[in-house]
Order: sequence, then C-alpha cells, then structure tokens
Amino acid sequence: MNIKSWTGEKSSHPNLEIGLLDEAYRAGVRGLSRVSGSRDGPTLDHVLLLGSNMIFFLPTLAEPRHFAFQEKLLFIALAVSSGFLFWRRFGPILKKILASKKDADFRLFPLGRRMWDFFWEVLCQAKVIRQRPLPGLAHAFVFWGFCAFALVTLNHCAVGLGIGFLDPSGWFGRFYFYLAALFAVACAVGILGLFVRRFIIRPKWLGDKLSWESGFIALLIFLLMATYLAAFYVSGTSSSARLLWWVHTITLLVFLPIIPHTKHLHLVLSPATVFLSRGGFSRIPPLDGDEDFGLVAGTDLTRLVSLQAYSCVECGRCTEHCPAANTGKLLNPKEIILGLRSYLNECGPASAEPLLGKYNSQEAVFQCTTCGACEFQCPVGIEHLPLLVGLRRGAVNTGAWEDDHGAKLFLALERGSNALGMSAAERDKFIQKQELPYFDGSQEYCLWLGCMGGYDPKGREIIADFVRVMKYLGASYGVLRKEKCTGDPVRRLGNDLVYQQLAESNLETMAQAKVKKVVSICPHCVRTIQEDWKEYGTPPEIEHHSEFIARHLSQLPPAESQEKIVYHDPCYLGRYRNVYEEPRAAIRASGQLVEAPRSHERSFCCGAGGGLAFLGEETGARVSHVRAEELLATGASTIGTACPFCNTMFRDALATKGGNAPQLLDIAQLTARKLPAAKPSDATVR
Amino acid sequence: MKIIVAIKQVPERDAQVHINSTGKWIEEGDMQWALNESDAYALEEALQLKEKHGGEVIVVSAGPERVGSTIREALAKGADRAIHIDCDDLDQLDALGVARLLSAAIAPESPDLTLTGLQSDDLGYGQTGVILAELLGLPHASLILHVEKTEAGIAVKRELEEGWFQTIELPLPAVLTIQSGGNKLRYATLMGIKKAKTKEIRRITSQELGSAAAPVVVLDRVFAPQKQKSTQILGGSPKEAAAALVEKLKFEARVL
Repeated sequence: MNIKSWTGEKSSHPNLEIGLLDEAYRAGVRGLSRVSGSRDGPTLDHVLLLGSNMIFFLPTLAEPRHFAFQEKLLFIALAVSSGFLFWRRFGPILKKILASKKDADFRLFPLGRRMWDFFWEVLCQAKVIRQRPLPGLAHAFVFWGFCAFALVTLNHCAVGLGIGFLDPSGWFGRFYFYLAALFAVACAVGILGLFVRRFIIRPKWLGDKLSWESGFIALLIFLLMATYLAAFYVSGTSSSARLLWWVHTITLLVFLPIIPHTKHLHLVLSPATVFLSRGGFSRIPPLDGDEDFGLVAGTDLTRLVSLQAYSCVECGRCTEHCPAANTGKLLNPKEIILGLRSYLNECGPASAEPLLGKYNSQEAVFQCTTCGACEFQCPVGIEHLPLLVGLRRGAVNTGAWEDDHGAKLFLALERGSNALGMSAAERDKFIQKQELPYFDGSQEYCLWLGCMGGYDPKGREIIADFVRVMKYLGASYGVLRKEKCTGDPVRRLGNDLVYQQLAESNLETMAQAKVKKVVSICPHCVRTIQEDWKEYGTPPEIEHHSEFIARHLSQLPPAESQEKIVYHDPCYLGRYRNVYEEPRAAIRASGQLVEAPRSHERSFCCGAGGGLAFLGEETGARVSHVRAEELLATGASTIGTACPFCNTMFRDALATKGGNAPQLLDIAQLTARKLPAAKPSDATVR
Repeated sequence: MKIIVAIKQVPERDAQVHINSTGKWIEEGDMQWALNESDAYALEEALQLKEKHGGEVIVVSAGPERVGSTIREALAKGADRAIHIDCDDLDQLDALGVARLLSAAIAPESPDLTLTGLQSDDLGYGQTGVILAELLGLPHASLILHVEKTEAGIAVKRELEEGWFQTIELPLPAVLTIQSGGNKLRYATLMGIKKAKTKEIRRITSQELGSAAAPVVVLDRVFAPQKQKSTQILGGSPKEAAAALVEKLKFEARVL
C-alpha cells in the first residue's frame, strides 16, 4: 500500500487530507508494524507524514522478497569464495603473528586500562579525531558507519538466504535502518572527503605514490552506502530492489578479500592492537633470557611487534611529526614499520636474516631522537619506541653498530661516571664551590645533579638557581657524594650492558644513602630513574623541578615583568611524563606565556634525545635549528626551557643569531631571578 | 698468530682515592676498578691482529679475586681465554716481581706475540713490559701505536717525541708495550659478556709460579700531589707587564 492509495478516498479535500495524514502519523507511531504487517502482505513503502508545520518523508528499506534457489546458491557460492579468498590472505598473516615469539612481559590484566584505551581510541576514535580533526572526523564517520552496518550487513546476508531477521517495517527494524541510514550518509560524506584528501589534496605524509587500491576501496565503501540508501527509494517488489541488493552484496564480497593485503588490514587488526598494546609510553621490554639481545633477526620479533607491523594504516602521522623525517634524515618511522612488514612477509618470524640491512637501515634507526611523537600520534596502537630501541639494542648488544661517537660515549660510561667524559672530581669541585650540602638522610629532598647539572656550565647555572629557589622556600635538600649517569643515553641507544651497570650502581647508592624523594632538573633523568630503573629495583620517588616550583608558586614572588616568554615542551617531560601545565605555571609567574605553533603533546624535539646529543653531526638540517627558528618566530624575547639538554641545543642554535638572540632561560632561572639577591647567610644554609 | 696480552686492573678513572693507614698504598674498600687504559689499547691491537690473521688472543692478569671482573671484560671484548695469576700482595711487588709472575705464566704458552700497555695508570713504572721481555729473552719495542704483520715478522710504528714516528721491524716472537690512542677501542657488548661466561679462565696462584724474590725497588710512600696555585696576572700596559714578567723570570723563577 502506498500513501496515495491509503489517503486516496479523501483526496478531494486538501485540508481533510492533512488531517487524515495527521491521524495516519499518529496511527503510524502507535502501530505501523501492524499496518504494514507481514513480509508477504502489502507493505507501506512510502509514508508521507505532515505534522502541524513539518514534513516528514519516511521511506522503508526495500528488500527483495524472494530469492530463487539458483540465486541463493549463487550467493552462497560467492560468499564462500569471498571468505575463502579473505582467509587465504589473512590466514598466513595471523599465522606469522602467532608464530612470533611470545612477549615475555605481557600481562593481560588489569583489563581496566585496556578497556579504556579500546573505548577511547577505537570506539570514540578520540586520537584519530583529536590529532587531525577534519580527516579524523571523516574517518570516524566511516568507522561508526561500519559499526552501525554490522547488524545491517548480517541481516542483508540473511535476507539472501531467506532468513532475514530485521523487519524493515517492524518498529525495531525501521528504527535501526533509519539509524543506519544516518550513519550511511555520514559515512558516504566521510569517505568522499577522504577520497578528495588522498587524491586531490594529497598531503605529503601519505607518500608520493598514489594508492589506487585506496581509491578503489573508497569507491566500494561509497557504493555500499549508496546502494543501502537507494533501497529506501524503491519498492521491495521491484527489480531495482533486487539489483541494489546484488550490487550491495557483490561490493561487500569484493571488499572482503582486499582487506588482508592492503592497509585496510587495520580494520581487522588495529582494534586488537590498541587493546593489546604494552601501555605506558615508550615502554622498553626487559630482555628475555641469555639469548635475547634485542631485535636482531626474525626470531626476535615478538607477537606484539608483528601485530603492530601488520596494523599500520600508512596514514603517515608518525612521519608528519618526526623530527628526523622533517629535517632531511633517512629515518621515516612509517617506513620502518612497513620495512618490518615486508620482512615478515618475505622472511617470516622464524628467519635468521638480520632485521637491519635489506628491510630497514641501521643508519635510519640511529637517527631517532626518541622524542616519541610517532608513538604518541599513532592511531592504531603501534609502539614505535620499543621497536626502534629494540632494533638499536640488537645492533649495539651484538656489537654490529660501529660509530666512533657512540663507542666513545659507551667507553666513557663503562669506565667513568658521566656521559660528558669528565672526571668526577669536577663535580666535587662544583659542589664545594656552590657549598651544596651532601645528602645524609636527614633532608627531605635528594637533589640529583645529573651530568648537565654536575658538569655542564649552563646546567650548573640552572642547579645554582634552583638551589636558590629551594633555599628561599626553606626546603631541605642534599646532593649525593657520587652519582653516575642514570643510563638514559645508553638505554635509548640500546646498550643494555652499560645501562644495567649504571642503573644497578645508582640504585645501590640511593639505597645506601636512604634516599626517599628525589628532585631533578632533567626530564631524562626523571624518566629513567622513575620508569626504566624499575627493571633492576625499586627507584625512589622522583619529581621534575617544574613540579616542585609549581607546587610552591604561592610562596614565591609574583611576576615583575610582562616580557613574552615562549615555552618549549621537552619531549621527556611532556609526552613521556604528561607534565604540561606545571612549567607553564612557572612561566606565567615570571612573564607572559607565549605558545609555539607546535606545543604540548605536539611539541617538536630539540634534537638531543635518544643519546643523539652525544653522537656526531647530523645529516640534513639540524633539528635544534629548526625548532629554534620556530620559537624565534613567536616574537618572544625569552625562550623558556625545562630541560638542560634542550637548553644546550638551543644555546648552540642561537649562537648564530648574535645580539638578536632572545634570552634562553630555564624555568628555575626564570623563577630565581624574581627572588631577592642572595644574602651572604644564604650560602651557609645547612 | 697466538697473542698474549698482559693486562692490569687499576682504580677507575673517576675513583676517589684515599691513602691507607700504611701510607704506602690506597684504601681498596669500596674502590671501583677498571682495565688500565694502555692495556685496553694493547687488547684492541691484539683483537684486530686476530681478526686480520686469525689465531688466538689470551689475556693474563695478576691480582686478587677482584681482577676477575676486568678479565671477564677482556673476554667480553673478544679474547679467547684467560690466565688469572691469583696473588693478594700485588702492592708489595715491584715491576720485576710482577714481570716474573707474568713471564712464568706466559712462557709455557710460547706465544708469537706478547703485548702489554706502556705503563699502568696507578703506579706508572713503565717497566713491567720491558722487564717481561728480558725475562722471556725476547726482542721488544716500546711505545707502539700500530702493528703490521710482515713476511719475516712484524713492522711496528713507534711514537717518538714531538710528533715524530719511527717504523721498525722485529722478528717473532716479540714483546711490545702499546701506547694509548693508536686504535679506536671497541665497546663491551651484552653478547660478549654472555659469551665470556663460557670462556676458560685458568687460575694459577703466585706460589705455583714460585718466584717470590724480595723487591729491588721499595715503595716508600704514596701521597696526593701538592696543590700549587701560583698564577699571577700582571697588570699595566703591555710594556710594563712585559718588564714585570722579565723581572720575575729572572729573579723569581731564575730561568733567564
């Protein structure tokens, strides 16, 4: 029954027709399922409802009523072959993932964090949207469309077998098909947008080569949505409905086998990848037994690594934010993942072929500053840092990496106490000159100097100023008689031997000195002590000096000037520790805070991390110079830093600016300069 | 080529050194120890020769239990096996005493080449390697930066004064004392350390080597260098400063 015949008897009276339709609308709301009833009886194909001043057009999804036996057979044959083709490609991938080594430190529990990540990153598409709002939203629409279509597709196939379970004119069926139609519209718009982006706008992160597969898949997705929506405009008995059903079905069955060998594999894998990820940030797994030296060959690849390699969606967000890739280095994090995938495809997880060589380059792997922008950005849960550090471990722990600067650094830390290769006596001299008290267990804080604070002239200035702040606040503190490097540079460069020696030696020193609470000016020290040392013992509580200063801001003098200070987020404080606001509070209390174009979790590295501060000259542009230019362009008269390594990198980059260079001050220095000049008595505190 | 490298464990470069109650040696209590620097270069030279020409590298070291860690480090860097001469009174021995122990341990191995560092970072006698060569009755050369294998034996590059170098040829077997800086040192690796666990360390006591003769050089006293800070900045015009400088050089320093 269509609307015309239903309202036909009173059609001579226009006003009455409206009234009747109103009644029909009410009747429809109450019992449309009864009116349109059975699948075989007359169906309400189109209902035109006119409210007091609204017009609704409520079509019904048309489904072919009856399938001939041969048609059903054809459908089954196509569906089975599509499933077979999918499995023929997906089966070996799954086998490779499962044949990889088990992750020794993997724990499924607690599930809370995993479920939250899954909800937030997969279901809400939060990361996808937040870091690239427009394409992210378009993607989310496609994703949500797919989710909404799960039930629709199931029913669609069931209809083909004559066992459809959603009645298009039943109340639930109608509601659900309308809901799905809304998603279908959003999905179609989304996929069109993504198509335009990929083939017309062509952001360079997607790679130089146009992926025709992606275009074809976009077409298939669009076709799926279009055929679904079109089915609302035809009658269930018409041959068009049958045609639409078949086009929809074939599109679906063509789509399925394409998934496993294209980046659309992420449809299947990435929800699992996000759910199963190690969690935390840049979590480097412990080595597993005497034969594990890191990622050397296929036999070292773990299930998580293989799963992540196959999950890459090639969106290029990692590369877009990578300081190495943006300054003309060989390293391209996306290519590292794809290189690994090629390795798995061609050699497999049982292969003894080196991971570095044909598929990935050692040079590229050692260009990583471990800034973590890639891992932070990745929407499919790939953990780049454990992978990159794992490859470095494989090269360093076996001695395959030969680098003069690297060897010098390792030897300095094998034999001495600090990465700068200076004599520990220099640190003692500094402590004596500054009259820093030694930690004896009675003070609240152990002030960790680190290599920069203990040996570097600028780092020492930062320590001296931070000590002034601590004294002003009346905080009790002391420094250790001897300190060794926390092991940060060797940890990130993959030298487990030296890292373990340093971590164990320091843990012992701290235990002997009964250290409970540590404060440090260096985010690298903070991170390494708090997270990485856990592998060898129980590190003391530690905080970064920005957290200490922010906590005491109310007791410190207010800002005297309104000079513009641009804050540079250190990677190891921001992305690694999630500390963004504390240093900003310290800066706001010293002047007017200016933000760089890339800030907070999108901050661009200074180039020092990952041990690179100690390696040789970079190829391409210097990361520090690129970032310094960006900070300069904000017009700020001061650059505020919170990491002595960032500070030293920018000091070098600004040296070429001569007199026009802005001031470069750590937050401790910005805070200390507001304090009254040191009284002679200050020097003898404790 | 069978190469023996004699190595010594010395206080770590950054160690805080305190003189013990006898006044003749340092407190060893919580000292951190490391491989003597020029010995590390001797080991590197030996490893490179082995990599080029094949053969075996054996390290030998005299000292108490603690020396084991330095021996394992050498094994980790690539030495094939080690001989540990167990002696607790190394600080009582002079260079001759140590050389006697080493020669007694080395002679039965009859190596093609024996290398050792030029001098130790702690006592710095610079004698042990040379005396060792005499005791073994072998030709030797000191201050060597580089070793090249030739038809007849080896050609070595010696460091002379003022940036001069000398290349000389020696027959094998021979003993060389190696100067620091000739090569780039390799770093120790985790894999090396793990492999080192399975390598042989043969322990011999100093008594077994039977050469406890009285020292001919007796250590009288060790002390920290005296601080001498006598920098003076001479003010005034360049002419005045120059005149004052000449005055001081003549009458205070008495060098003019």
